[in-house]
Amino acid sequence: MSFGDAFFGISWLDIIIRTLIVVIAMTVVVIYLTYGERKVVARFQMRLGPTRTGPAGLLQGVADALKLVVKEDLRPRNADRWVFEFAPYATFVPVFLVLLTLPFAENWGVRNLALGMFFVFAVLGLNIVGVLMAGFGSGNKYALLGGVRAAAQMISYEIPLVVALLTVAMLAGTLDLNLIASLQGDRPFILVQPLAFVIFFIALLSELHRAPFDIPVAESEIVGGYFVEYSGIRWSMFQLAEYAALWGFSIFGSVIFLGGWNFPFGSEVGVGLQLALTLIKSTLMILLIFWVRATMPRLRMDQLMSFCWKVLIEISFVLLLITGFFLYYNWPQEILALVNWGGALLLLTVIFIRTRRKSEAEDLVGTYKNIEVTE
Amino acid sequence: MTTETSPASKNTETAELIRTQLPDIPFEISVTKTYADLRVEPENFLLLVDGLHKNDALSFDLLRNIVALDMGEEGLWAKYHFYSFIHGHGIQVTVPTKSIDLTIPSITNIYPTANWHEREAAEMVGLKFQNHPDPRNLLLEEDLDIHPLRKEHPLQKPEILQGIEEGPPGVEQ
Amino acid sequence: MTTWPESQGASTSLETVDMTINIGPQHPATHGVFRMVLTVDGELVKDCEPYIGYLHRGLEKLTENADYRQAMGWWDRTDYLAGMCCEGAYVMAVEKLAGIEVPERAEYIRVIMMELSRINSHFMFLGAFGADVGSFGTSFTYGWRERERIYDLFEEVAGDRMFPTYFKVGGVTMDLPENFEARCRDILSSVRQGLEDFDGLLTGNEVFVERCRDLNPVTTEQAIAWGFTGPMLRATGLGWDIRKAEPYSIYERLNFDIPTGKQGDVFDRYWVRLSEMYQSARIIEQCLDEIPSGRVLNPDLPKTLRIDEGELYLPTEGTKGEYGVYLMAQGGTNAYRAKLRSPSFSNLSALRDLVVGNYVADAIIILGSLDIVLGEVDK
Repeated sequence: MSFGDAFFGISWLDIIIRTLIVVIAMTVVVIYLTYGERKVVARFQMRLGPTRTGPAGLLQGVADALKLVVKEDLRPRNADRWVFEFAPYATFVPVFLVLLTLPFAENWGVRNLALGMFFVFAVLGLNIVGVLMAGFGSGNKYALLGGVRAAAQMISYEIPLVVALLTVAMLAGTLDLNLIASLQGDRPFILVQPLAFVIFFIALLSELHRAPFDIPVAESEIVGGYFVEYSGIRWSMFQLAEYAALWGFSIFGSVIFLGGWNFPFGSEVGVGLQLALTLIKSTLMILLIFWVRATMPRLRMDQLMSFCWKVLIEISFVLLLITGFFLYYNWPQEILALVNWGGALLLLTVIFIRTRRKSEAEDLVGTYKNIEVTE
Repeated sequence: MTTETSPASKNTETAELIRTQLPDIPFEISVTKTYADLRVEPENFLLLVDGLHKNDALSFDLLRNIVALDMGEEGLWAKYHFYSFIHGHGIQVTVPTKSIDLTIPSITNIYPTANWHEREAAEMVGLKFQNHPDPRNLLLEEDLDIHPLRKEHPLQKPEILQGIEEGPPGVEQ
Repeated sequence: MTTWPESQGASTSLETVDMTINIGPQHPATHGVFRMVLTVDGELVKDCEPYIGYLHRGLEKLTENADYRQAMGWWDRTDYLAGMCCEGAYVMAVEKLAGIEVPERAEYIRVIMMELSRINSHFMFLGAFGADVGSFGTSFTYGWRERERIYDLFEEVAGDRMFPTYFKVGGVTMDLPENFEARCRDILSSVRQGLEDFDGLLTGNEVFVERCRDLNPVTTEQAIAWGFTGPMLRATGLGWDIRKAEPYSIYERLNFDIPTGKQGDVFDRYWVRLSEMYQSARIIEQCLDEIPSGRVLNPDLPKTLRIDEGELYLPTEGTKGEYGVYLMAQGGTNAYRAKLRSPSFSNLSALRDLVVGNYVADAIIILGSLDIVLGEVDK
């Protein structure tokens, strides 16, 4: 049976079965993503992480989930009841919708939409509603600050994210995610559009509220931000949404930039290896995100905004123009790749020079050892 | 074991220097184990502090500390410790108030850091500072009108003192 | 409350209302039980009202009601991150008041312990400050690794980790264990490694520097007026350290530098503390080289310590700044009045002036850069 065909040939049964598979897979993955994050970050921090629950702490996520489910669901007295109670769902549902159109292997998704990438953008925008609802409905000032911060940040970073992805969509000539993956048999798009990948990755960190852009949930300032008043099952919905989004967008990124199930083995290798490829590539992206999280301090709101509006958006639009020229005049993609790599290197050089000139961060390292005698 | 080079003489010199620089202000000089001590009446205190701060030969620019004392019969005292970064000398100023009703002028205008120190002294011992910008309790609860560092204040939990809790048996309250 | 000008607004004028945010007493950024009420206009802090006293334990009253030696235990608990420094200040004040000599070896041991405490406390600062800036616990565990080793050493030397009560009027309670020198040198090398790690993690991080550079610069004049001492003052460029300016114990014989900042901004405060730890390691090494053998406790001490009439104010360089002890004796076994001049208290009193006009996120960092210990603020 090919995975493109419907299960049992019945359309509605097929949808239910596929959705169930994705729900179960997502739950398991989220449970082990939290475990994985705790383990990986623990290693960065010279700790062991969970070790006691099950072998090597493998059941820690299950225990946490159980604990959260049976925990009392509290609602502050001055919270706006319906807004407060529905906010977790409004956050979670869009994330889940993203998962529905992702091709985990060739033609292997719940539904392969012809406008897949567009669909992802569209439901992504809905995510903000839930966050704002949570921030507004909690009746808590930390939550309100967090919600407003999150809205400002997510709306801003959606622009470079979308534009960076559009450059790839232009190259591919389609918005169908499965088709985009199938076009990358010989070379993944990251080799052609590395600059777009860098922009995508940065904007992704911001969309997911991951360090160094975890301003809406800043633990040392507003103690968790918009979900500070939630507990029990509703809080775990937020966690579920956060990690499901992490997973979903890693797969999304790996499909668009890293060749998804296709690169480097092609479509002949069978669904098992294709699934494994997707998972490995998305895991690499997730590990990268964890690494950044364990290392980077948090930016300030205005720095975050000016970085988006003054740097990322400009670069992404220039990239869009260049890609358009190349496609219109049919110039070869190798040169586009060269230009792109040049742009990426230039960006890195500019950042490097800026670092040297303005903050002297490099020069400051180690200076604590040699101090002139002040007397 | 201290290896300082005759600190006492240096501190007396500082006190004598203040005497020559500010000849109009009456104060008594004595010595403590570290710094010289100037004893000045509350009415002359602001004048002295102003001189200590402004005079270029003295320029005591850091207010280190304010100690409030309950001296029993002799009233409530305040002790100020000043330091000069330029000249590297320090001095202690003692301001005795003979009765509880007397006030000491606040020096927050000259030394902004005196704000909290004076609030602490005021609540702990009950000294009153004239013209203090923010005379609320600092460490104790805001509506609590007790002065724990007075000698007559017993060493006991506040709950027991307020009669909320019972004290341990056999302890006089 | 601000209103839009008529020209910009519609017929119904828009209003924005300032919001008050209560931060603390239980909040990850307050480093203890400290509360501040921020009035914010959006993200901009308009006003800040600090509230302290949640940890007030009546140190001074307790000291007045206890024997000179018994009171020691309370002083440990003021700056609980550097218990030995507090012990040192109190013990030296009592000794000076009573005129008690301390054996040479005990002085060296004290300096070693005090500087280890300083390193310990500053590691705590680096860790907590990194967490304030948002490095998600990584800096915290980096700091914790070294602190743990130093605490283990304290436990071996004194029998306790945080509140050792190791110093004693007239010396220290017991001599160092046999393998002390080797262990201490081992710890120093790991401390240096830890400093390198921190330097790479924070100083070399563009985001960290961007957050802290030019944030909340303080001039030397302001710092003095606000009563800043210690690293907060040295960050402004004034190299004033009581260990050099009014030396106590054996600091006069030791060779070390005073790191200073340039503009008193948050980064300089961080950097000065980082550099100080390096100098502390130097001091300890010199002490290990020169430490003489002999007694660690003055043998001619009276059984009950009675001190005749007298008073003194003894300033020492605590980890946060000038840790001064005022003692007044009027005969008898107890101090008539004891007063702690705590550096955190004076540094914190300027919080309103420091924070107003900055963003909420920066207010947290500024509070973190003050490096307060609430046990010391509230006494």
